[in-house]
Amino acid sequence: MIKPFKIVGLISVLLLISVAIVWHNTVPKQLTLRFYPFLGSQPLVLNNEKYHNPGGEGVFTIRDFQFFISNLVLRSKRNNYTELESYHLARFDVGKAYYEIVISEISVSDFQQLVFSIGIDSTANGTIVIAGDLDPNNRMAWNWQVGYKFLLLEGSLYSQMKQQPLVYHIGFNESYTRLKFPLNSTIVSNDGIIKLKVDILALFDQAEPIDMNEIPKVKFDPEDVAKIAKGFQHFISLM
Amino acid sequence: MFKVKFLAAVSLSCTVIIVVSIFVFSTNKQGDTQLVEFTTPFVFGRFQIPKDNPLTVESVKLGRRLFYDPILSKNNKVACANCHKQSLAFTDGLALSVGVSGKPLSFNSMSLVNLMWGPKHFFWDGRANSLENQALQPIEHVDEMGSNLDDLTEELSEIKAYQTLFEQAYGELNAVSIAKALANFQRTLISSNSPYDQFLRGEISLSPQEEFGRKLFMAHPDTKVSLRGGNCIDCHSQFLTSGFSSFFDGFSNNGLDDDENLAEGLFGVTKLEAHRGLFKAPTLRNIAVTAPYMHDGRFKTLEEVLAHYNSGIKRSKTLSPLIIEADNLADSQSQHISLNLAPHEVVAIISFLHTLTDESFLTNKAFSDPFKTGEPND
Repeated sequence: MIKPFKIVGLISVLLLISVAIVWHNTVPKQLTLRFYPFLGSQPLVLNNEKYHNPGGEGVFTIRDFQFFISNLVLRSKRNNYTELESYHLARFDVGKAYYEIVISEISVSDFQQLVFSIGIDSTANGTIVIAGDLDPNNRMAWNWQVGYKFLLLEGSLYSQMKQQPLVYHIGFNESYTRLKFPLNSTIVSNDGIIKLKVDILALFDQAEPIDMNEIPKVKFDPEDVAKIAKGFQHFISLM
Repeated sequence: MFKVKFLAAVSLSCTVIIVVSIFVFSTNKQGDTQLVEFTTPFVFGRFQIPKDNPLTVESVKLGRRLFYDPILSKNNKVACANCHKQSLAFTDGLALSVGVSGKPLSFNSMSLVNLMWGPKHFFWDGRANSLENQALQPIEHVDEMGSNLDDLTEELSEIKAYQTLFEQAYGELNAVSIAKALANFQRTLISSNSPYDQFLRGEISLSPQEEFGRKLFMAHPDTKVSLRGGNCIDCHSQFLTSGFSSFFDGFSNNGLDDDENLAEGLFGVTKLEAHRGLFKAPTLRNIAVTAPYMHDGRFKTLEEVLAHYNSGIKRSKTLSPLIIEADNLADSQSQHISLNLAPHEVVAIISFLHTLTDESFLTNKAFSDPFKTGEPND
């Protein structure tokens, strides 16, 4: 027969363990979304690395690559965390091979879904509001009548013994793309980091691959913009 | 309808002038300094003032006097204002400036305007990462002002007016406070009342030619959708007209030279090959009075500048793809890089550039020579 005080002790220990687990999972800490740029399986190296044209002949280099991540939300059954002024310009030319968004003071384990967008929502895109990384005087702004480039990709294509510039400036409200990712304890590392892969090739290597020889520049032609923006759906994935 | 809606939105936003009072923790030794109040258009965006150099009335007053005082030079003949004349938007009208040595310098004198916005690296090649850092370099440069900072500090400390001004502004007279004062005076050089600003505020209309030029300025050409453009906005932001502020986005190789003749430019600072031949995209505010143009002053007129972009671009490894690709004619770039603007379009862009001249800035007494207005001994 087990004595009552032993039962009480056992229950107390179990309670303490439960409290510790709950406390560990709910105490506010820092969550980091870390974006790593790739072209397929190859990490992005600006200027010096050549990649195969996914839709045709030739190889290409990338000189500049930036894009907007916006309107970040973390969802759980109980509550949502919605980031304010959530406009982040991701770039990979400032000393780090990755871009990261840090959210301070958040209970990471509660959340079951991560949601954010590629591009700028139509409300912000139609104004000159200065919020987050939105700045009507920066490189991603076309002008106030057109709005922002959601993604900027510039470089050179080497094909058939000639070099030509590559300019992909993808914007327009129709290109705004919402992405959703399931979250669980295996996705969030112990130090609160979620790793995401940004695959530039996803913009071109679609069901019908885009040949950079045929479309070396995309700016304001709605059909061409839509072709590239279609790739936003598969542009980012969990690592 | 769409465009009208946007114009109305911009006009409304521009009428919301931010009256700035900066409240920062003052590290001045003097506790009774007064912070500068100034107005700035909303569309200029965010700016920062170093916490260790609050923008005080006293520091600006000191900086203004130093800026106009030739005592800063070795021979007591060259002031900052020699190469930065207010009537020329703080440039000097020369292709290459000349200092105490009499030798032409390596660069054209840069306009000093709206320096709290735009690129955070100063000089044509970005070699200074703050206005404070920028301020001392010409003073010490052997060809510009040729001074020794220790000697200069000693010389200034022997003048009663400076003893008082330094005491009031920083509580001490040294090289650091000289730099801080000069930086703060330059921060106050804000130009925001040009006809373009008045247009943005909805106060005036541009002439049809100026408006045509404005639209060309703001557009990257795209023949696929019949959009004609001057491609200016790819390097000069829509409201500030300066280079972009983030990192080194405000620097560009604009096709002045081929690889054989390409100057170091930003490469001299970053040592990145991708930055070879990149120079700071300057503000175009008051551009009509800041000739000659480019980092070496090679173009005498705005017509020559437009001719360069329209037909004089030279290829090099770091030439911006945006310049190579920008063409108002479909598929004509294989042989020769050209914007292919029509003559009347060139005239219209130049007409718009003239709307950036801010007469009230060029004549603002607060920026003028205090020695000529009897203010130094205040």
